[in-house]
Amino acid sequence: MPAAADDSKRKAARETIDILHDISILLNTHLDRQPLSYCVSLIENGVNPEALAKVVMELRAQNERYEAERAGTVAR
Amino acid sequence: MPSTREERVDDALQSLLERLIPPQFEDEAEALADQRWDEANELARDLIDREPEASIADDVQHAADSIKRRLLKDTRNPERAAAFGGLYSRLLAQPVLGQKWGILYFLDRVGEGENDGGRVGRVEGGRRVQGSGDGGEGGQEEVFDEAFARHGLPRVPQGLESPRQVPLRERAVPGRPKMQAQTPEVEVVGEQEPSSGKVEPSEAALLRDLPFTLQGLSSTNLAFSDKSSLTLPTSLPVPLIALLHALAEPSLLYRSLSDFVESSDGGLVGQSLRSAIGQELRSYLGLVATLEGQIRRALAQLDESLPRGGLGKAGVTLKRCVVWTREATLGLRLMSTIVESAKGKKGGELISLIHNLATSHGDTFVYVFAERLLSNITRPFYNMLRAWVYDGELEDPYTEFFVSSNPDFEDSGATSVWEHKYLLQEGMIPSIVTSDFAQRVYLIGKSLNFIRYGCHDGAWVESYSKDTSRELKYGDTANLSQSIDEAYKTVMARLIYLMETKFALAAHLSALKKYLLLGQGDFIALLMESLASNLDRPANSQYRHTLTAQLEHAIRNSNAQFDSSDVLRRLDARMLELSHGEIGWDVFTLEYRIDSPLDVIVSPWASKQYLKIFNFLWRVKRVEFALSTTWRRVQTGARGVLSAVGDKVGEDWKAARLGLAGMVHFVNQLQYYILFEVIEASWEGLQKTIASPASGTVTLDTLIEAHTAYLRSITRKGLLGGAGGVDFTAQLHELLKLMLSYRDVVDGLYSFSVAEFTRRQELAAKIENRTRAGRWGVAESEDLTMSESPLFPGPNRGTKGGADSPLPPLLLPLTTTTGAEGEKSMLDSLRQRLISLETDFKTRVNVLLGDLAYQPDVDMRFLGVVMNFNGVYAPVRRRRQQPQQQHHHHQQVARSERSAVGKEKVGEGKE
Repeated sequence: MPAAADDSKRKAARETIDILHDISILLNTHLDRQPLSYCVSLIENGVNPEALAKVVMELRAQNERYEAERAGTVAR
Repeated sequence: MPSTREERVDDALQSLLERLIPPQFEDEAEALADQRWDEANELARDLIDREPEASIADDVQHAADSIKRRLLKDTRNPERAAAFGGLYSRLLAQPVLGQKWGILYFLDRVGEGENDGGRVGRVEGGRRVQGSGDGGEGGQEEVFDEAFARHGLPRVPQGLESPRQVPLRERAVPGRPKMQAQTPEVEVVGEQEPSSGKVEPSEAALLRDLPFTLQGLSSTNLAFSDKSSLTLPTSLPVPLIALLHALAEPSLLYRSLSDFVESSDGGLVGQSLRSAIGQELRSYLGLVATLEGQIRRALAQLDESLPRGGLGKAGVTLKRCVVWTREATLGLRLMSTIVESAKGKKGGELISLIHNLATSHGDTFVYVFAERLLSNITRPFYNMLRAWVYDGELEDPYTEFFVSSNPDFEDSGATSVWEHKYLLQEGMIPSIVTSDFAQRVYLIGKSLNFIRYGCHDGAWVESYSKDTSRELKYGDTANLSQSIDEAYKTVMARLIYLMETKFALAAHLSALKKYLLLGQGDFIALLMESLASNLDRPANSQYRHTLTAQLEHAIRNSNAQFDSSDVLRRLDARMLELSHGEIGWDVFTLEYRIDSPLDVIVSPWASKQYLKIFNFLWRVKRVEFALSTTWRRVQTGARGVLSAVGDKVGEDWKAARLGLAGMVHFVNQLQYYILFEVIEASWEGLQKTIASPASGTVTLDTLIEAHTAYLRSITRKGLLGGAGGVDFTAQLHELLKLMLSYRDVVDGLYSFSVAEFTRRQELAAKIENRTRAGRWGVAESEDLTMSESPLFPGPNRGTKGGADSPLPPLLLPLTTTTGAEGEKSMLDSLRQRLISLETDFKTRVNVLLGDLAYQPDVDMRFLGVVMNFNGVYAPVRRRRQQPQQQHHHHQQVARSERSAVGKEKVGEGKE
């Protein structure tokens, strides 16, 4: 029955995401489940994980810069 | 709904960005937020499009390992590593994801990136990496700190000494080379130079050269000055030197190992070792190639503006290379250790060496490695094993197998093929096989060889090898032992079958027993009868053809004629070497020819033993025969002739009969003992061993042993061996000689009596005649003449008597006394001789019995008892120091008293 198959697939997917979430916690990646799942799907679709990692880090760095700027401007 | 990959990627990316980028801040212009968003988008797109392929090999294990390593480094929370291990295994079990490595790698990088950004922890972790490896370098940590700082080195230590040569060291245990520790200590304090962070030659240049160095090729900056040393450029900071040392090690090892692989000496196993090491080196080269790819890519991304050329960001530094080649270095170190210790060894020793590493080394890496090598190395060994076990052929051009062919071997028949052609070399037995296994293999091959050459059954060997030969290889121990067992059983069974059917081993052994050990009584009796008169003559008048003719006659007229012709063909009568004065009895012997391959079992030594036993038995039989003929004559004569002369020689006859009876009894007991107790019993033992030996399978070796034991027990128990210093053989020979002389004396007495009887007969006839003629009695003169005995030819008698008498010359008296005195003296001499011989006989028997009673063997003691069943002898324990004559004298004097005491002694002895 396709429904059952889908169900099991979904269950497996959920389990996988849980495991990966635990691993990401261990590794201190600060990635939540949602973004993690997006990343997983990106990688599954063939995106280069190195590049993706860089993207994530760049974006975070950018964010911090903006934060710092904002904090700077606000403090002023 | 189907969506292209692009679209999916886009969607996911958008959502991700949404998550990562905080939405519009409070006091931020919308435009700014949008701008941010666009920037982010651009960046993301850019990065993703630029690098469609990953630069690290997609190995899940590798990614997981690197994660684990990183977690392990972080010793503040050690349980993280364990937790990760559990999660990882669960992840692997999940069927869903296709790109597990990608995910893990991604997470790894993100985590790393998180930990990056100037946190001290990272540097600590980094320092710990170096510190754990390098033992006593705690004091140099500042140096390393600076080395790892991302903003260049503040100072460059100058004046390093002459280029560090990295000598090749002997290493018993793979461990960090000591040179590593020395380098940082040479650090020159002082002379600080403001540096721009650039070092000459640059790390990039070094990296470019690195792949070549790792392969052992000289390059611009790192040249190999000679076979075993690498020149490092002088103007490098100490930490870089340290790193280069670490990297120099695999290069040098690789160089020496590739030299080794190129060389070619030693045997087949050595060659296989070379090929195995060559394979490992090839995989090492693969690693180097990967490394090179990495390096090239990293160098292509070099950003000159960043400190140190931005190598850190590009992902490849010397330090990283050190880490990446670490495992390979361990492997290379191990290989060079193996190569060092393998010098001069070959064959089984080499295999044992590596097997030792495989089984008894604690380090997992070492024994996994050794296992890999072993399956390669043991291939030639197993080939040789196969050839030996299934074909019986030794294909061993470099003498590496533990069975070696004997260089002193000369092809002299089957015996030597079995015994001497092949030797088992204990030293060459590799430790992958037990010594029991090696024994079996040795036996199997030997038997196959023997079957092929000794039994000429090469056809069977061919078919056997075709049917059962199978591939043997390492690691397959159960199969291997099973096939060896099967082969063993088959080959042994075949060998025994051949022995028994084709070569009729059983028939020949029993024929040996029948003829040489006097088993076939009727044949022996006939032979003896027909040969008796012949053999009394001197040895040099014997002719072989007469002996053979008699032999044939005996065979034809006894049950021996029903034996197979093959057996009869081998039977032969022969004369031994004769020396002066011997009579035929001493030189006659029967012979049974054995040819190969049976002479493996009935070896030349065995044949000699058979002849010895035959000789002894033949003598005993002869004495028995002689005594019994005499006894027969005496008995039949007793009724007729002898009773007539009873008045004169009756006493003597009584004594003679007693003596004869005693001797006959003795000889009979002896013969019975030897033939039945000894020979038959040992024969039974032999049959039983042949049918079902103690060790389970009948092999040729067990047969040989059983047969030898059989002969030995016969010689020992049959009083032929020198058991514990007591020489029975000499005693028995003396006794036999005594008995023969006794018989001669009795014969003499008999002739004397017959002569006397004849004389009386003649006298009676004469009286008769004269009575008829009318004259009574006998005239005085005639009476006197008549009292001449025919033994003493008087002056008026011709030389009738002497030449015809069967008396041996000894007994004719030396004096030429005539008449009644001569007769009387003859009688006296006869009597005396009888008595002396009998006494002598009794004495010797006593001594013999005394010796027998103290033998450890039950059967021999039984013989002593049986011989003396009525206590007529008094066994005496002979003390070696006392001279014989004294003893005899005592014996003679005290004989009568002793006999009474002796009975009690013997009675005690019996109990």
